[in-house]
Amino acid sequence: MQAAPMLPEILLAIAGMVLLMVGVFVGDKSAKPLTYVVAAALFAALALGWTTPHGDAFGGLFVADKLAYFAKALIVIGAAATVLMAAGRATPSDGSGPMRFEQPVLMLFASVGMMLMVSANDLMSLYVGLELQSLALYVLAAIRRDSLRATEAGLKYFVLGALSSGMLLYGAGMIYGFTGATNFDRIAASVTAMGTPSLGLVVGIVFLMAGLAFKVSAAPFHMWTPDVYEGADTPITAFFAAAPKAAALALFARVMTDPLGDAASAWGQIVAMIAGLSVIVGAFGALAQRNIKRLMAYSSIGHVGFALIGLAAASENGVRSLLIYSAIYLFMNLAAFAFILAMRRDEHAVETIDDLAGASQTHPYMALALAAVLFSMAGIPPLAGFFAKLYVLSAAVDSGLYVLAVVGVLASVISCFYYLRLIKLMYFDAPRDAMDSPMPRDLGLVLGVATAIILVFILIPSPIVATATAAAQELFQR
Amino acid sequence: MAGLEDLLKEYLPVLIFFGIAGGLAVVAVGASYIVARQKPDPEKVSAYECGFEAFTDSRGKFDVRFYLVAILFIIFDLEVAFLFPWAVALGDIGMLGFWSMMAFLGILTVGFIYEWKKGALEWE
Amino acid sequence: MNALYVIAIFLPLIGALSAGLFGRSLGDRGSQLVTCSALILAAVLSVIAFIDVGLGHNPRSVELMRWIESGNFEAGWALRFDTLSVVMMCVVTIVSACVHVYSVGYMSHDHSKPRFMAYLSLFTFAMLMLVTADNLVQMFFGWEGVGVCSYLLIGFWYDRPSANAAAMKAFIVNRVGDFGFALGIFGIFLLFDTVSFDTIFGAAAQFTDARIHFLGLDLDAIETLCFLLFIGAMGKSAQLGLHTWLPDAMEGPTPVSALIHAATMVTAGVFMVCRLSPIFEYAPNVLAFVTIVGAATAFFAATVGLTQFDIKRVIAYSTCSQLGYMFFAAGLSAYPAAMFHLTTHAFFKALLFLGAGAVIHAMSDEQDMRKMGGIRGHIKQTYILMWIGSLALAGVGIPGVIGFAGFYSKDMILEVAYGAHTIPGFIAFTLGIAAALMTAFYSWRLIFMTFHGAPRADEKVMAHVHESPPIMLWPLYVLALGAVISGVALYGPFVGHHFQEFWGDSIVILANVQGETIIDKAHHVPFWVKALPVVVTALGIYLAWRFYIKQTDLPAKTVAAFEGLHAFFFNKWYFDEAYDFLFVRPAKWLGRQLWQRGDIGVIDRFGPDGISSMAKRVADRASKLQSGYVYHYAFAMLIGVVALVAWRIIQEGA
Repeated sequence: MQAAPMLPEILLAIAGMVLLMVGVFVGDKSAKPLTYVVAAALFAALALGWTTPHGDAFGGLFVADKLAYFAKALIVIGAAATVLMAAGRATPSDGSGPMRFEQPVLMLFASVGMMLMVSANDLMSLYVGLELQSLALYVLAAIRRDSLRATEAGLKYFVLGALSSGMLLYGAGMIYGFTGATNFDRIAASVTAMGTPSLGLVVGIVFLMAGLAFKVSAAPFHMWTPDVYEGADTPITAFFAAAPKAAALALFARVMTDPLGDAASAWGQIVAMIAGLSVIVGAFGALAQRNIKRLMAYSSIGHVGFALIGLAAASENGVRSLLIYSAIYLFMNLAAFAFILAMRRDEHAVETIDDLAGASQTHPYMALALAAVLFSMAGIPPLAGFFAKLYVLSAAVDSGLYVLAVVGVLASVISCFYYLRLIKLMYFDAPRDAMDSPMPRDLGLVLGVATAIILVFILIPSPIVATATAAAQELFQR
Repeated sequence: MAGLEDLLKEYLPVLIFFGIAGGLAVVAVGASYIVARQKPDPEKVSAYECGFEAFTDSRGKFDVRFYLVAILFIIFDLEVAFLFPWAVALGDIGMLGFWSMMAFLGILTVGFIYEWKKGALEWE
Repeated sequence: MNALYVIAIFLPLIGALSAGLFGRSLGDRGSQLVTCSALILAAVLSVIAFIDVGLGHNPRSVELMRWIESGNFEAGWALRFDTLSVVMMCVVTIVSACVHVYSVGYMSHDHSKPRFMAYLSLFTFAMLMLVTADNLVQMFFGWEGVGVCSYLLIGFWYDRPSANAAAMKAFIVNRVGDFGFALGIFGIFLLFDTVSFDTIFGAAAQFTDARIHFLGLDLDAIETLCFLLFIGAMGKSAQLGLHTWLPDAMEGPTPVSALIHAATMVTAGVFMVCRLSPIFEYAPNVLAFVTIVGAATAFFAATVGLTQFDIKRVIAYSTCSQLGYMFFAAGLSAYPAAMFHLTTHAFFKALLFLGAGAVIHAMSDEQDMRKMGGIRGHIKQTYILMWIGSLALAGVGIPGVIGFAGFYSKDMILEVAYGAHTIPGFIAFTLGIAAALMTAFYSWRLIFMTFHGAPRADEKVMAHVHESPPIMLWPLYVLALGAVISGVALYGPFVGHHFQEFWGDSIVILANVQGETIIDKAHHVPFWVKALPVVVTALGIYLAWRFYIKQTDLPAKTVAAFEGLHAFFFNKWYFDEAYDFLFVRPAKWLGRQLWQRGDIGVIDRFGPDGISSMAKRVADRASKLQSGYVYHYAFAMLIGVVALVAWRIIQEGA
């Protein structure tokens, strides 16, 4: 038994507890410094993960491999960026009290949970990691507890999250029952020995997938997403949109391809169905939205659907495309939310898409960056979003999922409409009351860096593509 | 369809049980309608509660602090539930087992300090 | 030497690009200087090429690059310099150089001089591409290139609706011809498996019996292809039926009319038939058709020219008529005669147009001859130059002694027509003589109405009448020199007894059994045939004098006497009206139907509009599902998982 591969998570957990103690003794005025410590701790853990040996820990409950590391890199980038962006920014329409010190600490705990779940090599550790993440997120959603919308969002998220956790647990139980193991390697061996998956296993897989689909907000388990995105405080929404998505997608990929790889016949079509439904819901749902956070929620449903198309391919190529997609989507999301956080008028946050009108004249650089991000989300070459979709679709076509690929492309066409509508608002409509300027420096930095990554991906794709390839390769070798 | 049929066959007893239960209920209720005399009055059809009349709405709200106390109780209740088997098996699980529980208790202590400082343990 | 020739071809392009792209930084003066000097240099080089290749019998071909390779389709980009090409090169560059220089004066009041000069040079380049083409695709490139430039130049004053309409008309009417040309090229490739001239010409004799099956028709391959190619020539050279664009093209600036719509582009059709003589020779029926069309055009255009009052339109119809002459010469296999007339015509017609331009310039942009008159004293030099042009056009000379350029070339064509001793030849001869009479009449009608008699313009205009500046007159003198001497100087090499030495392989004429070609036959016609054109020309000039100098009430009386005929001629045989009724209106109706019913009614309704409104409906429904109640969401999740499980179980079971 060795614990070394888990050192980063252990470090973060201890850091979290220490910071909690610091916070509770010092009070809310420590919130701002805590955010920097949290961000530093996250990056330190990532660096530590780079140096610690890969491999199993705690008797196969935990595994540190390239997939885990890839996902952890995304989690750390997403979490650190949003933790920093969230510092001191609340939605003043809901009353702008000082930020609670619990916010950065909870984000840290959520990140630990995500890192644990992407490294889980056992159904039990999976559940523990997932719940650590989820519980922190439930609280975060409602952390502004004097706001009606935020508490509503938190309650909805909690109730539905509990339901999904129940489904996931039920599925895990079924799988344990029919394979006799909770360890991924032993489940895999059992599934391989089984040949055709038994009916009970199939039912278990479906329930497990329902739970996972809820976490990635894929249709038909997506309905919490728009309400929670809209209701939660915008900085929290930004956090929700970035790291947990990448973590849950990586987990989804690992669970499906590692222990259940030989049962692909049982889950391939379900993933395809979920993916297809998600891209359709994402495309049509967003058309009618005027609130930009709600719009981003539907957009994320669509993007997750796209990433799942890669998983539906059930191939090494497919998992690779999923990882690339989630990485690129993370950066697009960070850029978009940096912009949304900067949408303030008279020190008050505004969040309808009409507030964007004429932004190209009042905020030319911001508008240009957002336009690039939106074009990328719509999948216009030569931006990164195009390549993300390209990898996914080519993996799907290679696996013979022609119908799904066509559905994806059509949904992408429809989704172009609402992305382009935002650009049209910014560039062709007369400006309304100008939003505050200049953009806060930290938001500008995130927006700029994320946009730059989206722009230069075509020139330097290897940091993302090569690592994703290696991760997928390793996953399929086991 | 063999798989499906096999599965459903396993549930055949359940189905039969449902059938018998439903039938029994129908028989009991139906028989009382057919056999007994029907002569309702207000006293007879009113809600029955422990021998005395209902004086408030049964869905009344009460203080959220009860929940808080209940939840905090459950956490430490579970801690104790964990401690029993641990104490019994402490000789077999060695130092690793001992330190594992210490870590668990440490984490709980952090939580305890937090709730204490936040004032969750005080009623007002 | 090769490099020099290539430079001659590309100089106009360089001029065009520098004036077109950098016109703003070069300025008006700079653009004019660059393009004019490029053209003059190109003209000098062309003359050297003519001496070397034409007179020195030194044809060559310069391969520039391989252009298109696709399967067994290959089209190179080579410049072919044989006698035919260098003759055309000389004509094009010399006339173009004159027009360039002239334009400096003529366009002095215009705002976009660099653009104009760039278009002119670009046109010249395209025309040179056309005449030096080594294969049909390359020729088509030049062919379309000149078409584009013609469009641009006709519509040069794009703020005039009439100019835009004329430009579009020219472009669209030419589509008909170009469609034929393109089909002809496709057919040639189908038959010969190549588009290279050398290969095609070498193989033409083997395919005389080839057939083409199309839609159940069994057609003679060579005849069909030549017919299609000739349709292209008809369009470009404004032959009867596809001529309607040429008079309207006079909306362009006058130098354009001189260069494109008189001297060069419109003769491209004639050049094409001559260039393809090795195939046309095997298509006797098409040649007969060419003859008839040419003769009919010569006659038709002359009749219309009698009645027009716009000075440029008179010359335009005259051009149309002269092109008819060239075509019937080519149709009778007398390609050298056609080329001869093409060359001389380029000089005197450009002279006439530029002279007319000088008149228009002097009359403050007045083009209606009814508002001119009595200005010969004011612009003496122009007056003399117009006389020279008209004398050359009418072909005045003393048979057997000497004459103006047209005297040699036109008479040669008429002799050919007589000498052919065929029915088409006889028709052509008759119509040609009639057209010659009318040519003389309308030429002097133009001169008398413009320069003689009492002034009909108002005081202000008359006070302003002035001689053109030297920069406009000098090109006229150059062209006048050509109009005077090109006939006598080129008669020998072009159509003399040793014409075959001069043309070499560039023109093929099948000899009859006695080994005589049509040119040989033409040299042996009776004297009255040679004299008749001169006689009718003299008659025409006399009549014009009677009508417009001696008895000025005669025109009105004649018109009254032949009212119907005059209206018929004056309205250009009602071609425009007929086309409007037959093609334009049905096409517009069809377009409107496709637009209103087809596009808006069907494609938009069920396509973009339908789909977008459907998407909106779906989106509205989808957002209604999002009720906000947590139990609805939980219910949806449960339904979802149950549905997925059920679906899986049913699939597993099945």
